[in-house]
Amino acid sequence: MKWVTWERVGVDRMACAWLITKYLDPAAEFLFVPAGYKPLPEDAEPFDIPGVRLSHHRGHCTFYTMLREYDLHDPVLQRIARVVDEADTVQEVNLEPAAAGLDLICRGLRLVSPDDQVALERGRLIYDALYAQLNVEA
Amino acid sequence: MEQPQGVLWVLLVYKIPREPTASRAQVWRKLKRLGALLLHDAVWVLPATPWTREQFQWLAVEIGELGGEAHLWESRLLLNGQSEVLVQQFQARVDVAYQEILKDLSQEEPDLAALSRKYQQVWAQDYFHSELGRQVRKRLMHARGGFAS
Repeated sequence: MKWVTWERVGVDRMACAWLITKYLDPAAEFLFVPAGYKPLPEDAEPFDIPGVRLSHHRGHCTFYTMLREYDLHDPVLQRIARVVDEADTVQEVNLEPAAAGLDLICRGLRLVSPDDQVALERGRLIYDALYAQLNVEA
Repeated sequence: MEQPQGVLWVLLVYKIPREPTASRAQVWRKLKRLGALLLHDAVWVLPATPWTREQFQWLAVEIGELGGEAHLWESRLLLNGQSEVLVQQFQARVDVAYQEILKDLSQEEPDLAALSRKYQQVWAQDYFHSELGRQVRKRLMHARGGFAS
């Protein structure tokens, strides 16, 4: 199935794309539209776009929303959601020192990638690595 | 940094139901945490960067979810000198916080762990790269005879 988001992906969208491909839709195809672009393609599920189902809700990032919407209860994924929350949004409580670094790396990854497609592909390695290490610590 | 008159600003105007007060406080704390400046008790301002735009955008969504209404603009100041004054206000605020860290650093046995955390918090709101911030960073690195890089 097709998934659509705004251009210039960052920490939250890379995490979401990783989650989609790994847990929800291995054959996922990602489309990118300019920020604010309307109408969104009808045959694609939008994510991390203001106002859609799979987006920020109640101050949480889209990755967090996706875990809730798709009933994913893996504690390691929940921990990643906390990291992405702190990386992508302003939180009062900060418990994950990795958050700021992850945000920076994902932004840099977009800079060194020719396009969003490639950035999402490269981002997968980062989240595989994060999952593996948090799993060891769990 | 660009010339002050060239600075592009993001403006957030919102209203939110009086009750529950927790929702109002939550939004207000986030704006403070972002280091946004409140003008005339009406307009919250930040210099426009992809990051501040995104943060305001998500905050606007959150305000909507809390039963409020928010408008988000991007704009330039047209009157001569006002942009400079605004930049100075942003700088003055972080400089006060940096001064406090410097003062604490001159105490005997300063709590370096706590002060470096405080530095990081102030630095996150230091949109115009205050010179004092650089000094604080240097002092923290030199503390206990460490090597500065």
